[in-house]
Amino acid sequence: MDLNLSPDALKFRDELRAWLDVNLERSYTEEVLAPNADEDSLVEVRRQFQKKLNDAGYLGMGWPTQWGGRGATQVEEAILRAELAAVDAPQSPNALGIGLCAPALIHHGTEEQRNRFLPKMLSCDEIWCQGFSEPGAGSDLAGIRTKAEPDGDDYRITGQKVWTTLGPWSNWIFVLARTDMDDRHGGITFFLMPIDQPGVEMRALKQISGESEFGEVFFDNALAKREHIVGKIGEGWRIAMTVLGFERGGSTLLPSAEFGHQLDCLVDAVRTNGDLERPDVREKLGNLIVENEVLRANGMRTLANVAQDLPPGPESSIDKIFWSEFHQRMTDTAVELMGPQGLLALRSPGARTDVHWMREFLWARAGTIYSGSSEIQRNIIAKRVLQMPTK
Amino acid sequence: MKFDLNEDQGLLKTSTRELLESESPITESRVVMEDNPDGFSKKLHQQLGELGYLGIVQSEEGGGMGAIAFAAVLSEMGRVAFPGPYLDQALAIRALEAAGATRWNEAAASGEKVVVIARSENPTNSDDDSVSCQFADGKVTGTKVFVPFGAQADALLVTTAQGLALVQRPGSGWNATPLSTLDHSQRFCNIEFNDAAELVADTGEATIILEEAAQLGSLGAAALMLGCMESALESSIKYTSERIAFGVPIGSFQGLQHRAADMLIKTESTRSAVFRAAWAVENGEADAGYLVSVAKSWAGPSGRFVCGQSIQLHGGVGYTWEYDCHLWFKRIKTLEQFHGSTRAHTENALARSPHL
Repeated sequence: MDLNLSPDALKFRDELRAWLDVNLERSYTEEVLAPNADEDSLVEVRRQFQKKLNDAGYLGMGWPTQWGGRGATQVEEAILRAELAAVDAPQSPNALGIGLCAPALIHHGTEEQRNRFLPKMLSCDEIWCQGFSEPGAGSDLAGIRTKAEPDGDDYRITGQKVWTTLGPWSNWIFVLARTDMDDRHGGITFFLMPIDQPGVEMRALKQISGESEFGEVFFDNALAKREHIVGKIGEGWRIAMTVLGFERGGSTLLPSAEFGHQLDCLVDAVRTNGDLERPDVREKLGNLIVENEVLRANGMRTLANVAQDLPPGPESSIDKIFWSEFHQRMTDTAVELMGPQGLLALRSPGARTDVHWMREFLWARAGTIYSGSSEIQRNIIAKRVLQMPTK
Repeated sequence: MKFDLNEDQGLLKTSTRELLESESPITESRVVMEDNPDGFSKKLHQQLGELGYLGIVQSEEGGGMGAIAFAAVLSEMGRVAFPGPYLDQALAIRALEAAGATRWNEAAASGEKVVVIARSENPTNSDDDSVSCQFADGKVTGTKVFVPFGAQADALLVTTAQGLALVQRPGSGWNATPLSTLDHSQRFCNIEFNDAAELVADTGEATIILEEAAQLGSLGAAALMLGCMESALESSIKYTSERIAFGVPIGSFQGLQHRAADMLIKTESTRSAVFRAAWAVENGEADAGYLVSVAKSWAGPSGRFVCGQSIQLHGGVGYTWEYDCHLWFKRIKTLEQFHGSTRAHTENALARSPHL
């Protein structure tokens, strides 16, 4: 066993910390508190910070250098994401493009596609959203019904996509659509489409937090050009499944770093409120701290295996359930421990200004649904890890 | 970075599993628990000494193998609900070494003698470290409670207000009252002392020795719990794959599958926590005490969940004496009460956490 970071990884971390000291002027929460902040200005804040990251070479970390990447290790990628989360840095508005679409282009796209799309994705001059889920196909992704019909060399797309994160601010969308209505997996193709065109209507969806970060998008005979198909016709499912499994190492330390920052703030809130010596409060806080530390241990274990190129062990199937359900317990307890103060919106008089607890409390409900719900994850564990019988 | 055991540790784990599978499979654990008046096999205890297992947490010069090897061995013992004073004696051997009690250290490490630490005086709170036992004029007087395998021991390290005292047989015959407890393979007794003794460490030394033993004890207990969880989960998967109801194996029902998935999550996250803590202890990391408390605080409730759900997944037979589920379930609940209770470790984790 060796759980120490290598000297190279430590050097990378220390340089990154020094860079953040200089280049991160305000945490994202401070940005939200700015007097004139609104959803548009905050996306702009995120775009500008992504540009800075990109200029400093901290984006597309694991990509080959020829397409603007750094050729970094997954350990370095994991350190980057954890450090950004720990200081509450503005999140990249192109996380889905960089995380899902770019690997599809790098591994399955053409040279023209890579040259055309990757640089602007990194510089955030173009924001991408994801067109996978549909009202009738969430966990059962292969159940999508959005249709792609040939039109000369090109295709015409008709259907509806939903839960399109940052859709209202996006320029491009990567879409799974059916080129064959009957072939469940082999009838799906991966398209890249501009949003600003006739036949594409993007609507904001209001979430339980009151925010409208999500959208839903309607396609009515919208154009998808032949040169914007990734891979071959009918390869969309396979491509989507491979990119969804990519870079599992990169986010291994992120949740415990983000929640660790929030726990610092929670301890501070409880202390300020004079409740830190109450035994019932200490037991609840202690349980949260223990659980976050176990989450970190799981992440270190997954990362150590990734660093050694070991095949995914059971721990990688476990991580998603663990962090998302812990986030619910943590925010639930945090709001409880702060009393009525925990119910305050960030900009309300009397609210804590370090963490937007009310929003976190609500946002935590999304984590057990997106990217494979807890139920789907448990099915996967039962079938693939525990190999329990099927009927 | 590497999470796996190194080659030596991996070999030790494998050979420990083979040894236990041949000498003390769970069927044998059950026979010992039911029929052996001592609650453990003295022959196997000696064998463990001869193979170097008992001295596992001594210094390297003394034959110790380190905290990671210790955790690996104890998780194997948990798998078969291994009965006996293995963990308690390993801690006593470490204490004897630290106290410079060479003769007893050697006799205990070889497996020839049984030695354990007698610490607690409060039957309703095992975290209560207050000591009223006295050492004076070459004698120990006072009462200890819940002494593990105290009635079977050849010598006891007794905590007193004056330090750590060694009481031995023959010469002293302490008055032990055996207790009847939840887990029949973990024997406890209360002891009234009025016995000749030798002070092996004064209060200053004793504090350090006992703290070190307590940290290793907490780690060892968490590792034992991990082994219990592994077996309880494996047994549940096997049973639900074979048991047919409504014409199908019951393990095909989603309600049971999701419960089993939760058991895996608890078991594997306990493994992460236990071995991360073991690594920190072995390497003398500054946060070792914090991480050990994290591991034990997490292992207790997680173990109770896994072993409790194992009974549930076995249905009615899970509640029978004949099936093994209760062996792991009882061991977990017992271990949760010793080597620092879950509550004490949660508080310690909070107090030592970087968040404070």
